[in-house]
Amino acid sequence: MTDMAAASDAAMTSETSLRIERSFDASPREVFNAWTNPEVLRRWWAVHPDGTTPIAEVDLRVDGRYRLSMEGPDGERHTVQGEYREVDPPRRLVYSWQWELDAGGLGPASTVTVEFHDEGERTNVVLEHTGLPDPASRDRHAQGWAACMDIFRDRGFSAAA
Amino acid sequence: MQARLTLAPQAILAIVNQMANNAVLDPVLDRSFAACSHPIRRGILERLSEGEMTVGEATKDFGVSKPAISKHLKVLEEAGTIVRVIDGRTHRLRLRAEPLDDAYAWMTRQRDLWERKLDTVEEYLREQRQDRESDKQGQADRNRATTTKETR
Repeated sequence: MTDMAAASDAAMTSETSLRIERSFDASPREVFNAWTNPEVLRRWWAVHPDGTTPIAEVDLRVDGRYRLSMEGPDGERHTVQGEYREVDPPRRLVYSWQWELDAGGLGPASTVTVEFHDEGERTNVVLEHTGLPDPASRDRHAQGWAACMDIFRDRGFSAAA
Repeated sequence: MQARLTLAPQAILAIVNQMANNAVLDPVLDRSFAACSHPIRRGILERLSEGEMTVGEATKDFGVSKPAISKHLKVLEEAGTIVRVIDGRTHRLRLRAEPLDDAYAWMTRQRDLWERKLDTVEEYLREQRQDRESDKQGQADRNRATTTKETR
């Protein structure tokens, strides 16, 4: 199953959030910089090999905003923006995440938490993206998501099986 | 290192496109999560996964009051995870997986996107390190060359 491979370093936690871990061959300072320095963000954010990052704006402080766009070779541009909630270089970042909609306005807000763990020569990054706009609503539904998915999956009800 | 799923660039664009245009997902997600957040509601869903049944069958033996049961059913109905089929005086409940599928699909798409982003930043950092090392090597070579010249 293709899903199994990804499950090795990504998991749906029971806290209604998505958690991904990745170890980088770089210092926490370098990885944190790659995450927050607009000049560096421009080099990797677009993801697609022929894509670009026309907008990379970062106001790195609590309540400061960021705006990042990725543009594919087809010229289609997708922009995400949000606000920094916690800024603790080079250890931890918490920020909100909202897509700018093609139709105008912003999509639903979710929250991204990134921790940069110093492991000597390497840095272990733990990224958590909760589908819920704020910690309060996340706590309301703090458990049961995984259990619920299991019910549906086990009985072959869900396409997610 | 673990084998990792890497999506084709085109697939990533499709995902971003979907993520960026899904304005209505938030309430769907929130309600789906709410549906799953209580053991009694999960119990009801589990029973219904066996097949359609009456309200009585789906909710018996949970040891809570009728009003409490009604509240749980309301949450499940609002989340769209169950539908009520009214047949005369009998109310039957049926499971609907679509809302949870939507929520799951959101998570899967977001995960794929992050995995790809992490791949890209990993590549970038690796290149940086290689550049630095080759600079160091180059410097060492030059130093050696200079030393050799001087000792000549």
